[in-house]
Amino acid sequence: MRRKTALASQAVFLCALLATGCQNKGGGDTVRIGVITSLTGSLAAFGEAHKNGYAIARDEINAKGGLLGKKVELDIYDDQSKPDQAVQGVSKLVDQDHVTIILGSYSSENTKAILPAVTQRQIPLIMPTATADNVMESKSPWVFRICAGANDYARTTIAFLKDAGAPKTMAIIYENTNFGQSNMKSMTAAAKQAGIDLVAVESYEAKSPDYKAVLQRVKKANPEVIYFCSYLLDATTLMRQAREMDLNPKYYTSAGTGFAAAEFPTEKGAGKNAEYTFSVSQWLAEAKWAGSKEFDAEYFKRFNSHPAYHAMEAYSALRVAAQAISDAKSAESDKIRDAIKNLNMDMTPFGPIRFDAIGQNQHPVLITQVQGGKYRVVYPAEAADSKAIIPAPRWSQR
Amino acid sequence: MKGLRSWQLWAVLGIAAACASVPLYVRNDYLLQVLFRIALFSALGLAWNLVGGYAGQLSLGHVAFFGVGAYGLAIFTDLGVPRWISMLLAAGAATLLAAIIGRIVFRLRGPYFTLATIAAGEVLRLMATNLKITGGAIGLTTPALFSGQLFWKWFYLAAIGLALITLIINYRVSRSRFGYYLMAIREDEETARAVGIDSLRCKLQSLLLSAFLTALAGALYGSAFQFIIPDSVLALDTSVQIAIITMLGGAGTLLGPVIGAVVLLSASELFKNQFKESHLLIYGILIVAVVLFMPEGIVGALQHLFRRRTKPPDVAAGIAPGGRDLSGSGTPRRS
Amino acid sequence: MIAFLQACANGLLTGALYALIGMGLALIFGVQRIVNFAHGAFLMVGMYATFLLFDKLNINPYYGFMAAGVLLFTFGYLLYWVLIKPVQNKSPFMQILMTTGIALILTDGAQLIFGADYHQTNIELINRTLRYGPFSLNAASLLSFGIAGVLIVALTMFVRRNLTGQALRAIAQNPEVAPLMGINVLRIQGLSFALGTGLAGLAGGLLLPALYLFPGVGEDYTTKAFVIVVLGGMGSIEGAALGGLLLGVAESLTSLYVGNQWALVVDFALFLLVLSFKPSGIFGRQRA
Repeated sequence: MRRKTALASQAVFLCALLATGCQNKGGGDTVRIGVITSLTGSLAAFGEAHKNGYAIARDEINAKGGLLGKKVELDIYDDQSKPDQAVQGVSKLVDQDHVTIILGSYSSENTKAILPAVTQRQIPLIMPTATADNVMESKSPWVFRICAGANDYARTTIAFLKDAGAPKTMAIIYENTNFGQSNMKSMTAAAKQAGIDLVAVESYEAKSPDYKAVLQRVKKANPEVIYFCSYLLDATTLMRQAREMDLNPKYYTSAGTGFAAAEFPTEKGAGKNAEYTFSVSQWLAEAKWAGSKEFDAEYFKRFNSHPAYHAMEAYSALRVAAQAISDAKSAESDKIRDAIKNLNMDMTPFGPIRFDAIGQNQHPVLITQVQGGKYRVVYPAEAADSKAIIPAPRWSQR
Repeated sequence: MKGLRSWQLWAVLGIAAACASVPLYVRNDYLLQVLFRIALFSALGLAWNLVGGYAGQLSLGHVAFFGVGAYGLAIFTDLGVPRWISMLLAAGAATLLAAIIGRIVFRLRGPYFTLATIAAGEVLRLMATNLKITGGAIGLTTPALFSGQLFWKWFYLAAIGLALITLIINYRVSRSRFGYYLMAIREDEETARAVGIDSLRCKLQSLLLSAFLTALAGALYGSAFQFIIPDSVLALDTSVQIAIITMLGGAGTLLGPVIGAVVLLSASELFKNQFKESHLLIYGILIVAVVLFMPEGIVGALQHLFRRRTKPPDVAAGIAPGGRDLSGSGTPRRS
Repeated sequence: MIAFLQACANGLLTGALYALIGMGLALIFGVQRIVNFAHGAFLMVGMYATFLLFDKLNINPYYGFMAAGVLLFTFGYLLYWVLIKPVQNKSPFMQILMTTGIALILTDGAQLIFGADYHQTNIELINRTLRYGPFSLNAASLLSFGIAGVLIVALTMFVRRNLTGQALRAIAQNPEVAPLMGINVLRIQGLSFALGTGLAGLAGGLLLPALYLFPGVGEDYTTKAFVIVVLGGMGSIEGAALGGLLLGVAESLTSLYVGNQWALVVDFALFLLVLSFKPSGIFGRQRA
């Protein structure tokens, strides 16, 4: 009996082993572009935004005839919102499926994790949404980032504040995640450099129903500016509870995401409580870049909601990849990489795209303010379509 | 080894050699990573088996030791300690942690114990997220225990080695007096204490050993993927996964954790590639199905398949007598 | 002082929701001893049900939550007969496995059906604040608190007075003798489980306006619910309610004096502390 059990066990073992080895190897009549994103797990909502953005770009490209005479196909690997799975994804896409370029991942930590893997395999990587600055530290020649980083957020916000009224005190309220902590670090450094006093730096556990105690601590410190680093819809809860606490800084500013979500100023989000908040933004539908409005309309038509800039960044990443492949007239990784380096896309819905020596696209960061339930660009002056309203009126006077 | 039939010794060595030779013909890094995971989780399952299988203490906080292994490796190396010594120091730290946690949680029984272990794991995760020394939510880069072009091959072999070591330890424990004490505690702790077994001390010892091995695995894992965050090495669902693997494979048996790791991890990866977003749904269905139709785990089900009715308990073979019967009726199973 | 009292008040308001969530699990885990790792997933289903009613039919969540409760009650009853009964008397191992599987199915299923994106309900009541001197209380939270209070009292009375409730307690106290007393054990246990999931549904509906919705929202609440039940004392439904309130206040005070990022740590530390000194929980009567 024992022998049979042991043998059966070994048989199960071998079957499972073989099963993992039998994966689709893909046909040669499409151009496959590898994608790593978080389809499941804590970041699934953003992985979905990515997927949608990629889908729109892919269909656009295929409608125009595809690449190198073939249709474009996306090979998507789910990193389950974990960095080790992202690393495994690189192996699966490159070693197993033989893709020659990878786009992704969503979060900074997952992206940072895959840098050694793509560098070792000499596969170009285009990062759509990783904003932490440590992802560009490796200076790998295979790595390119489309979006602006946390340091840019902080610097642009400080520059805007200097212009607008030069406040002296600031409080940072940030969520206790990589996004929050990285942005807090960037703003701490930028504020120190600008001589702004940080009177309160408060971290919070995301997705809680009650932040009033946190806001109470900040209120006690009486800052002129509050810089939120909030994801998700905590922005709505925070603003509503700020109103309840009668917290009245002169400026509500933020590092985007929650405060730059499409629903945030609407009735589906914080509604009137969002009024007068400033946010950094990488993109919004009303931006003066050709194709922005069309992307927004197409996204709404397909998915019945308005895209945040993550979807646009994914869309742009695929557009860049496609442009590079077509410029290089080849799907080989080193040729694609060289094409990306020399890329010069003057006008895309994400603005002009060009990568500098370390692979960073100098993407402008905009500062928006919610005015009348809509996002209006207020800084820098060249892109502004409205003047900033400062200071924010007290809650009791609204 | 006492009582081990020669064919079994050869079988084990044979399988070990087969596993070790895999990198000779599998050059695909992706497959090596999947196999690495399988081997590592076999080791984790076997380490957990000491506490959860033989002693019957359902711990869902083992990720705490896993994480301490990974973070310990990173932090000690940063302080200047050579990598391999760091790894041992990290495992030592985990053992110390186990001593502290054990004193608190082992006074509790049943679900209370389990919940307390969950709490312990979560406290560690939250501390790692909030403290600077662990890099917070931003994470830490880990030193590479193996480097070079083919480093996955070495990680895989190290994992196989660790799995083998934990297998041998399980084997020795299962037929030692210590092991019998543990099983006695599992079956009926009150009676065990009545006959003079120091249950607290035994449980603690099993936890210390388990923690040490789990931390070694954690250090390996952290090093292989080169970057750790609290959610990757201190997440509750890793604890649950280790427990599920062992329970579904067959807790309290030698092969159970291994088979569980092989089946569940390959299924998980297969589903991910086949089903994209719905892979978790299918995985959930798989778990429910196994619980409904294979309540004694896969090994138990296989044993049923081959069982003959009047066979006396076979102590000398590779499976512990009264191996964990998941139906939990409490009486030792007769084979 | 004012800040302290305000924080306590806010903690109680949030704690009322925790109490509801905990009480559902108190029935399932405290009384029936089923280790239900899917409790958070039931909460999530309740939230989605309430959200759908709001989104499609414009039904205010403060009415919709009752429908969610009924839906989850029915769902729980069916689920009990199909998947839970087989593991009712088996080891906690099995129950954890089964309910983990169920939770995965529900969570991923929700994502497949509704998408991973986040949703909010913005109803007018949630923006109203009642001010009493230096104190401010959110109107919607106050309403939830009131509703939760009513439900808690009703449930406690049900378990004490009503025959079914008494049957439940009888089964919990002595599962072997109960059938001899003429109690249809299986049916009662099915009802108890259904009641527990129904409560989770109600809690989800009430939680929705205060929080937001996505498939994974329930996960953290499962662990919290267990903490509440054990804190309050196994087998004690009133204990779970008080445990929930206690947790809410503890979190709020920690956020005020130490920092919100430590609130969860305090939860667990409190939990371990209580278990170390009084393993049967603060209000529990049974042996650990």
